[in-house]
Amino acid sequence: MDAATAPHRIPPEMPQYGEENHIFELMQNMLEQLLIHQPEDPIPFMIQHLHRDNDNVPRIVILGPPASGKTTIAMWLCKHLNSSLLTLENLILNEFSYTATEARRLYLQRKTVPSALLVQLIQERLAEEDCIKQGWILDGIPETREQALRIQTLGITPRHVIVLSAPDTVLIERNLGKRIDPQTGEIYHTTFDWPPESEIQNRLMVPEDISELETAQKLLEYHRNIVRVIPSYPKILKVISADQPCVDVFYQALTYVQSNHRTNAPFTPRVLLLGPVGSGKSLQAALLAQKYRLVNVCCGQLLKEAVADRTTFGELIQPFFEKEMAVPDSLLMKVLSQRLDQQDCIQKGWVLHGVPRDLDQAHLLNSLGYNPNRVFFLNVPFDSIMERLTLRRIDPVTGERYHLMYKPPPTMEIQARLLQNPKDAEEQVKLKMDLFYRNSADLEQLYGSAITLNGDQDPYTVFEYIESGIINPLPKKIP
Amino acid sequence: METSSRELQAAEYLEKHQIKELVSYLTSALLFFRPEKPKEYLISLLERLRIAKVTGVAFPFFMDNSNIVAMFEMMDSSGRGTISFVQYKEALKTLGLCTEDEDLQDDGHKITLDKFKEEVNKRMKEI
Repeated sequence: MDAATAPHRIPPEMPQYGEENHIFELMQNMLEQLLIHQPEDPIPFMIQHLHRDNDNVPRIVILGPPASGKTTIAMWLCKHLNSSLLTLENLILNEFSYTATEARRLYLQRKTVPSALLVQLIQERLAEEDCIKQGWILDGIPETREQALRIQTLGITPRHVIVLSAPDTVLIERNLGKRIDPQTGEIYHTTFDWPPESEIQNRLMVPEDISELETAQKLLEYHRNIVRVIPSYPKILKVISADQPCVDVFYQALTYVQSNHRTNAPFTPRVLLLGPVGSGKSLQAALLAQKYRLVNVCCGQLLKEAVADRTTFGELIQPFFEKEMAVPDSLLMKVLSQRLDQQDCIQKGWVLHGVPRDLDQAHLLNSLGYNPNRVFFLNVPFDSIMERLTLRRIDPVTGERYHLMYKPPPTMEIQARLLQNPKDAEEQVKLKMDLFYRNSADLEQLYGSAITLNGDQDPYTVFEYIESGIINPLPKKIP
Repeated sequence: METSSRELQAAEYLEKHQIKELVSYLTSALLFFRPEKPKEYLISLLERLRIAKVTGVAFPFFMDNSNIVAMFEMMDSSGRGTISFVQYKEALKTLGLCTEDEDLQDDGHKITLDKFKEEVNKRMKEI
């Protein structure tokens, strides 16, 4: 009866399937929706939710001080992601709703709309088909903590919140140059964003209330309110500096919005490190294995261990070692499978390096079912590699390894007796690098979602990049 | 950290509709069968559940007949064909079909396999 008495031997296909299809996130989203709406009849609600299939549509909120470029960015994002834009103006202008007419009346009277009414308008708008299917972008709402809380109680949660920020003086200056096109509603600027067509230029209007005094007042109001709104969205918020060209701000916003957040899904890393000889694969693998308790599987090491232990495989491999020939793929795969099938590898995950060397080995790995879920290419320029490898020395007496540049021997006496490994000679290194680069193009194509890193930095920096690559979800490919 | 009333309300909701067991069942089914299109598969499972509830047909929801028999046999170690009242109550609790303080009638006889099956099915339908 009790499932916990004997340890589960979960076949590795299950976690792989779970990761690929994002089952955890799927279930989490469904559960969230259930708890927010708490329908009396959960099963039809769940069926409807699954049919809607809108877990990944954009749900974005853009906030920022006046003149930071919110509306411009919001409009560009809309066009790019094909979602609906919701601003105060177009919510009020909705002609089909009674609440909208009420809101319009109040806006004309007092220049603001009461929060309760505004939030009701938002709720109505978000329940429409196009918002559900294609996502929504809220521009400038919520402005105050009260609005933020009201939106939250209705169950409207954005997935990404962008806050634009820039120094006040820049904003006041910028606002003076603002111009609006009355036909399209697009915002232009006299210095930064002047429309090319002369007919648009001719019909541009100066919007009201952009004088310095008014902008300064609006900025004060904004600063007072934004401090209380930001803590409502702790993990999904990103601050982007608006003090740069529009295009830069837009690209930063776009990449952020298309990235997924870290999930709580259970994840066993199966990491593959690829790179030319001397790029630091073994070092990174050792660091990863130490920190995350993964199993460090080095192909060359495995073979040497097999030979040293004189196992059945070892006997078969030894003649190849003696003749200094490459071990055939089939034998290699058998030794690898033996190691990777062991329970500790399946449970804890592994870091593999040294293999595959070319496309055939990669295909063999795939067919055996060892699919890595993170692949890293370590790029190091040729000169750095030469520097790293040709200056390696070993002290025959103590066995200590030195490097003439990075870790020189302490005394002249030791330096005199240092020896170099013949495999580290210049010609050998060049040969191995050529071999790698010939195959790397194929491998890069096979592992489409691989992450390329600059390996030419100090090891701990590279390690941090690898870590962030493993922990964050893989970036979504734009179709 | 004290639980707010909304949290308590949410916890109650989960209990009442046995959402945790449902989600657990769906996830296990997905991982076991590994269909190509997980969403479609989930929709089909949920549709079957919905129809089963409406028509009252016994659907292999969490346990089917063979599981019930297996459970009964595990508890009935001496093979007499009956289990004691305490075992019966414990079994129902484990299945999540009765609460701690519910008072089941102890009619003095031991519980047979048929009565056990009947009671389990009856409670399943109430969910």
